[in-house]
Amino acid sequence: MIYLDNAATSWPKPPAVARAVRNALIGGMGNPGRTNHNNSMNAALMVQECREQLAQLFGIPNPLRICFAANTTDALNLAIKGVISPGDHVLSSSMEHNSVWRPLVALEERGVELTVVATDASGVIDVASIERSIKSNTKLIAMIHASNVNGAIQPMAEIGRIARQRGILLLADAAQTAGSIPIDVEAMSIDLLAFPGHKGLLGPQGTGGLYVSERVDLRPLKEGGTGSDSMSPHQPLYYPDRLESGTLNLPGIAGLNESVRYLLRKGVARIERKEAALTHRLLDGLAKIEGVTVYGPAVRVTRAAVVSFNIQGMDSVSVAAQLEARADIACRPGWHCAGLAHRTQGTELTGTVRLSPGPFTKASEIVTALGVIAELAREAKIQRASGA
Amino acid sequence: MTLKLAVFASLNQVALVKRALQREGIYAEMLRTPRCLSHTGCSFALRCREEELAQLEKACSQWKIEPGGIFADMEDSSPVLDNDLLDEW
Repeated sequence: MIYLDNAATSWPKPPAVARAVRNALIGGMGNPGRTNHNNSMNAALMVQECREQLAQLFGIPNPLRICFAANTTDALNLAIKGVISPGDHVLSSSMEHNSVWRPLVALEERGVELTVVATDASGVIDVASIERSIKSNTKLIAMIHASNVNGAIQPMAEIGRIARQRGILLLADAAQTAGSIPIDVEAMSIDLLAFPGHKGLLGPQGTGGLYVSERVDLRPLKEGGTGSDSMSPHQPLYYPDRLESGTLNLPGIAGLNESVRYLLRKGVARIERKEAALTHRLLDGLAKIEGVTVYGPAVRVTRAAVVSFNIQGMDSVSVAAQLEARADIACRPGWHCAGLAHRTQGTELTGTVRLSPGPFTKASEIVTALGVIAELAREAKIQRASGA
Repeated sequence: MTLKLAVFASLNQVALVKRALQREGIYAEMLRTPRCLSHTGCSFALRCREEELAQLEKACSQWKIEPGGIFADMEDSSPVLDNDLLDEW
């Protein structure tokens, strides 16, 4: 299989990830915070090691401010619903994934003021337009770091600088950038960072997390057992216990711990360079194929390893099916859970075919994919010419 | 050998401090806080040698963690219950 669907979930994973998950299940990993036998204590140390490695990866000063979540959507909901109250104003962009857009719209229906700042057609926001949209009651800027539809990267550090100057919190949705593009929460003035474990971080599905800076206190979305202050009827005030009720996904975190170790060893900047080279090769190749429209930033503009395109006269779902049928290429067609972003780039009626290389993608696989796309575009042209 | 027992609200805090001490070459044992010292329900503790207590306190201070108390301890893990011997921090 040629796997070009890393924006949905990365594959393959470093071998140590599967080993760690297996060991967690077979070796008897206890439930941390519930008891005092060795398996439980060792699990707690593994979880802590994972927090520390994530802190190192994202420049987070205190690892205890990282709370594990099931995925980015889970983390974004924790952040958005934990910090916003009726009467508050939130700024967001027209490139958001539904994981930001839908919680914000749900809150808007309950008295929160929402401004969706329009990006340009390529998906990049103008920082000045953010600044112009700030109001006296603006509490939060919630922004996707890189689009899952076309890879457009937002100027997060500049947005962070403005947010910090104006006393506004910045929530970054790092679903497409965590592990693929270097992130430093301090340098970028990010107060809340939501990240998946199973995409660029190369860990198992069902993992993710939220960094909560010490400038923020979140209302928990769920209350329950934390293995601490058990006699109190109230949720602990300290982190991560405040947001981590119930048993954690230990096998998943064990795998994530190993994948983050792998990333720290390899270096995210190195992975970014490799993915950028693959993406540019893909974009250069697509630009030469007649009948193919590519969306997003211009060919040489930096973007995440996410490329969206359409073939004139072909349904995106058919293109994806043909890519799989002809060369066992896995990709994603359709609307990518991001209706707002598709409206912004003018693909709300068609959707797109999305190709997303990862750190293990080979250049030869990009060449194969381009060959099949060129073949499909030629066939579509012949069909158009024959009026079929 | 005199041992000290530092009681923490959460196992997450214990794990962080233990790993910080481990990096300094200090072994501290993680354990569930004995019931007699655990006034708010479940909590966890670190047991270390008295002479290593300063490093433990330094790690707590670095990570802004305030132990619920530091107590004199016995090697058999039964804490000293005589109030006069309790060494509240």
